[in-house]
Amino acid sequence: MTALVRRALLSDYFVLGLCVLYAAVVVPFTPSFLSVGNGTNILSTLFPLLIVALGQMAVLITGGIDLSATAVIGLTSIVGAMAINDETGWLAGSPLATPSGVVIMLAIGAAVGMFNGLAVARSGMPPFMVTFASMTGFSGLAVWLTHSKAINALPSAFVVLGGRTGVAFGIALAVAGFAHLMLSRSLLGRWLYAVGHNPRAALISGVPVSGVVVSAYVVSGFLAALAAVLYTGQAETGSPVLGQRIFLDIIGATVIGGTSLSGGKGKVLWTVFGVLFLKLVDNSMNLLNLSIFTITMAKGAVILLAACLDSARARLGTP
Amino acid sequence: MKSTLLTLTLACVALLVGCDKSDTPAPAATNGHLTIGVAFETLQTEYWVAGFEAIRADLKQRGDTMLEAVSDSDANRQLEQVKNLITRKVDGIILVPKDAKTCLPMIKAANAANIPVVLFNRPADKSDARSVAIVADNLALTRETVGYLVAEARKAGKKVKAAVLLGDLGDINAVGRRDGFDAAVKGQEDIIDVVARIPTEWNQEKAQAGVVNALQANPDIGLIFSSSDFLFPSIVSALKSVGKYHKTGEPGHVLLGGFDGDATAYQMLKDGYLDATGVQDVYFEAAQSMQAILDLRAGKTVPEVIRDPGFVIHRGNLAEKSAQMWGARVAAKK
Repeated sequence: MTALVRRALLSDYFVLGLCVLYAAVVVPFTPSFLSVGNGTNILSTLFPLLIVALGQMAVLITGGIDLSATAVIGLTSIVGAMAINDETGWLAGSPLATPSGVVIMLAIGAAVGMFNGLAVARSGMPPFMVTFASMTGFSGLAVWLTHSKAINALPSAFVVLGGRTGVAFGIALAVAGFAHLMLSRSLLGRWLYAVGHNPRAALISGVPVSGVVVSAYVVSGFLAALAAVLYTGQAETGSPVLGQRIFLDIIGATVIGGTSLSGGKGKVLWTVFGVLFLKLVDNSMNLLNLSIFTITMAKGAVILLAACLDSARARLGTP
Repeated sequence: MKSTLLTLTLACVALLVGCDKSDTPAPAATNGHLTIGVAFETLQTEYWVAGFEAIRADLKQRGDTMLEAVSDSDANRQLEQVKNLITRKVDGIILVPKDAKTCLPMIKAANAANIPVVLFNRPADKSDARSVAIVADNLALTRETVGYLVAEARKAGKKVKAAVLLGDLGDINAVGRRDGFDAAVKGQEDIIDVVARIPTEWNQEKAQAGVVNALQANPDIGLIFSSSDFLFPSIVSALKSVGKYHKTGEPGHVLLGGFDGDATAYQMLKDGYLDATGVQDVYFEAAQSMQAILDLRAGKTVPEVIRDPGFVIHRGNLAEKSAQMWGARVAAKK
């Protein structure tokens, strides 16, 4: 029995099992939980969260944290909308508006990531402080750009990117596949884990620690911007405060999946399951007609439980 | 790699395939009673809580069921919640959106499902999305409130420096209140000198820092208008820190005006610290929201905007008007 529990806890599919168990428990109380409409609804909000969580996972694996992910979402959302909206956009009416807008958003996200990475790697400042400062600064910049105003009238080709679940699924699948390849098959992936386990040992072993750290933050910024493309498309509006409140979801989903806050541990599949579990909890609590206060407290409890399980798994996994 | 992609794909497919194709509605409308989805952007201020509770009480009185959703200021989460309500086949949706633009896809989704949508106190931008908004005339009420403050300043007979706390200018109500303030002080330059326009984005910390900064730059500010009463604790704290929080009639009193009519404003009016506030009639708006849904369901023509006339309450009419002020009722329950 003990061996079975140990195997279950250490399995890659542990959180998926929790998802199935959770769904089985809530279905009798929420009949519409298993409706097609609700399934599509869960998926449409799951994909952008998955993308930004995968970026956060890359940073967490190195032992860092990227608090600026939500600021990147807001900043890139509003800059993208400023560029491509059909009324006042710099690229209004151009057939290249949508691809150019996406490229601009991704470039800004990567640039913010580069800034964070260089500050962490070169100055030796704690990632928490660096990314907290950039979160504050870039959030302020996003709000200042339009004085807090949201922008709509986005091209339909752009709206489709986030608004159609199938398209968002394709993008998320491609990102997850690429991230999996990077982590499991590439040298950069091995370096990320090495830096997260022990940066000093990694440096002595010839790993370019600074470059690896910068890469992780660039990936995080880039993927936060990609998530912003989907979120903006869903809302059909660029907003400087888009995604401002989802940081708990990003960290929660990543940690629930099993990525360690201490670094050196994390898998794409774990994050997929973590995001799925968090969305199932969120969605079912709405369907149960619980108040926002109850939902927030329950999510906090679930994340705490996940952290406890993570620590139990770490203990079990230690020889 | 293969297993990861396969698992991801299977997880998504399983979620959809495992779903019941019938899209089972949750609490169906029975015995003529309706199920109404109430989706609020936030419950962080007394006004929204009072509105939420007024709608809840109204629905309870009618024997209807309320499905609630609060998005914690997250537009994408609110879109998900509205889609949830649509999936559950509610009979109508009362929505307080984050702003005038992000609600458009929500309204379109409800339109597509033929579910009437009423926007409570925060209208949407012009578009082809069909909805009804119940909203106070922010501009007129603010103009009247600030007009009262200007008249009081004029009675004192000397020029007054003024500060205005602006809300989130992505919120059309905040824009209306800003415009109402500007309209009231326009042409009054002989008595009013606006020296500070403080952006708060509906944030108390920003409001407090802004008022402190304004008072440092202009210690002789004599009039402050807040675009919402919920910012008064920040203003009071800033005034107290520089020893300028005095009752009407006392030397050094700063003329104070606000908007909403919450319990704090009522108490400040009663205690003599607040001069005037524009009151939104939350109970009127709640009742009209439900009536609009009923009318839309009955196929009646409903105007796109239903105005809450509201009123200005000040020291002169406090006794007469306080019974209609929602903040006074909230204060009485405390």
